[in-house]
Amino acid sequence: MKRRTLLQLGAAGVASAALPRFANAAPLDELRLDYAYYSPTSLVLRRFGWLEQEFKPDGTAIAWVYSAGSNRALEYLNGASIDIGSSAGLAALLARANGAPIRTPYIFSRPEWTALVVRKDSPIRSLADLKGKKIAATKGTDPYLFLLRSLQVAGLNRGDIEHVSLQHADGRVALEQGKVDAWAGLDPHMAASELESGARLLYRNVAFNTYGFLNVREQFLATRPNETARVLRAYERARAWTRANPGEAARILAEEAKVPLAVALLQVKLRSDFSQPLPGAEHVAALRAAAPILRDENLVRPGTDLNAAIAALVDTRFAKPLIA
Amino acid sequence: MNTRLLDLPKDAVKDAPAAPPLRARSRPGWKHALLLPLLLPLLVLAGAEIAVRAGLVPANLMPPPSEVATTLAWLAGHGLGQHVAASTLRVAIGFACGAGAALVLGALVALHRTSARVLDPSLQALRAIPSLAWVPLLLLWFGIDETPKIVMIAIGAFFPVYTGVTSGVKGVDRKLVEVGLLYRLTPPALVRRVLLPAALPAILTGLRNGLALAWMFMVAAELIAASRGLGYLLSDGRETSRADIVLAAIVLLAVLGKLSDMAMLALETRLLGWRDGFTVERA
Repeated sequence: MKRRTLLQLGAAGVASAALPRFANAAPLDELRLDYAYYSPTSLVLRRFGWLEQEFKPDGTAIAWVYSAGSNRALEYLNGASIDIGSSAGLAALLARANGAPIRTPYIFSRPEWTALVVRKDSPIRSLADLKGKKIAATKGTDPYLFLLRSLQVAGLNRGDIEHVSLQHADGRVALEQGKVDAWAGLDPHMAASELESGARLLYRNVAFNTYGFLNVREQFLATRPNETARVLRAYERARAWTRANPGEAARILAEEAKVPLAVALLQVKLRSDFSQPLPGAEHVAALRAAAPILRDENLVRPGTDLNAAIAALVDTRFAKPLIA
Repeated sequence: MNTRLLDLPKDAVKDAPAAPPLRARSRPGWKHALLLPLLLPLLVLAGAEIAVRAGLVPANLMPPPSEVATTLAWLAGHGLGQHVAASTLRVAIGFACGAGAALVLGALVALHRTSARVLDPSLQALRAIPSLAWVPLLLLWFGIDETPKIVMIAIGAFFPVYTGVTSGVKGVDRKLVEVGLLYRLTPPALVRRVLLPAALPAILTGLRNGLALAWMFMVAAELIAASRGLGYLLSDGRETSRADIVLAAIVLLAVLGKLSDMAMLALETRLLGWRDGFTVERA
């Protein structure tokens, strides 16, 4: 049974690798992409139905999949459950370095979406105080990698703390209920925790936030460049709208993520920068600076060439003609 | 009372492991003992290796077995022992609690009519709850430390053992009990010399199933919020796109589950040595 399933999988893989080259002209039946609370433009795009409009003449259905975090988006991409997914840059690099076939032709934002959070009455005052403490973070996401890099700043590593793996929303609850001492948060949960429970940001560093990467499955990008370009154009439309109407975009985020408007405003207006959508030297440099943590903490196989993975991940050319 | 009825169960009342099996079972040859059980796994492994190397299956979905082996070797030098020990300890404690409670409650329900009326319907209802449904509640009540994991494993181990005990005792031949009563055995002696030996096969099967379920619930518990353990390792591999780590954890779970099951089986064979059960005749 198992072998047969494998063979079928293999046959399906061969077939799907071979087919689109011939069937390229045929319209897609379904375009699958994610939306996430950490990507306000994805929410705007979904709310206004611009993609559905764009693809209606082709008869292509748009399937929206919710990503609770970069880890989920990358897992779906790796398993070819979605074609286009949003994640943090360093999380995308981690997946790419471990063999996930993805490329990033578009940056959806430059956020400061993560920081280390403690309760308002916490005795923890500095990074060094975190030694031996219990810290929640979602593995495979920017907050987790942010945590590891922050610890490194204080000369600590992941063995010096007790890491508790919880999805972003659960991490917030665990912090506020006192089940963990600190939490590597993610907006909007982090902003909500600050405004609602008075949680304090123990350590922030905008340079340790590694951008919002819009990743496309390598094979989809190669065989469906037109469709990908049309999605990116729609993202551009959502980006322009969001920049022109940040208050409205925050309202959409507040409704979707079920957070108060003040929380959404903090995330969209003060902690997101939508000005630079084309991947470029800035992003490559940020990934190069961040990459060593993946090796230092044994998150990639020994001997992985991270620079090659960065080059394979970041596509600086594809979106150039699409960006206004 | 006719004498034949008296003669028959005399053997069963004796609580020492009695007569050796009537027919000595022939020792299986090495082919049967080693080669046949390994045939299927080896074929699957070889098939997977070839399929990935030939590019039939993408390596990011199905890492070749050789890579999983490399990963296991690497992990062995990087804290694998700690994960295995943490998981094994959780299973041991959880199983001990769950199975212990099940033995007590099962015996109570099986031997005491009122207790059965009060307890059994509720316990049967609880049994129907799927393991994952407990997760949010356990997190809420017991936090994210060891307690919810142990409780979860104990819940998993409880029901097979409980069912084994109750159905085992219910299945004891009424005639055996009557004979015990005829011999004027006191209630404790009746339990020890008649009920327990007769119900033992079902109880041991329950314990064995309970242990298997304890391993399963352990993974469910560790997937949620753990800092170490095989479930943690598994989710670590998942979240970092390392299917090889996921597979390595699965292999270890299979090995540990099999080892503990073999230990249980050995105990069963030892305790039930008096049984002359049915075996498939070998050609």
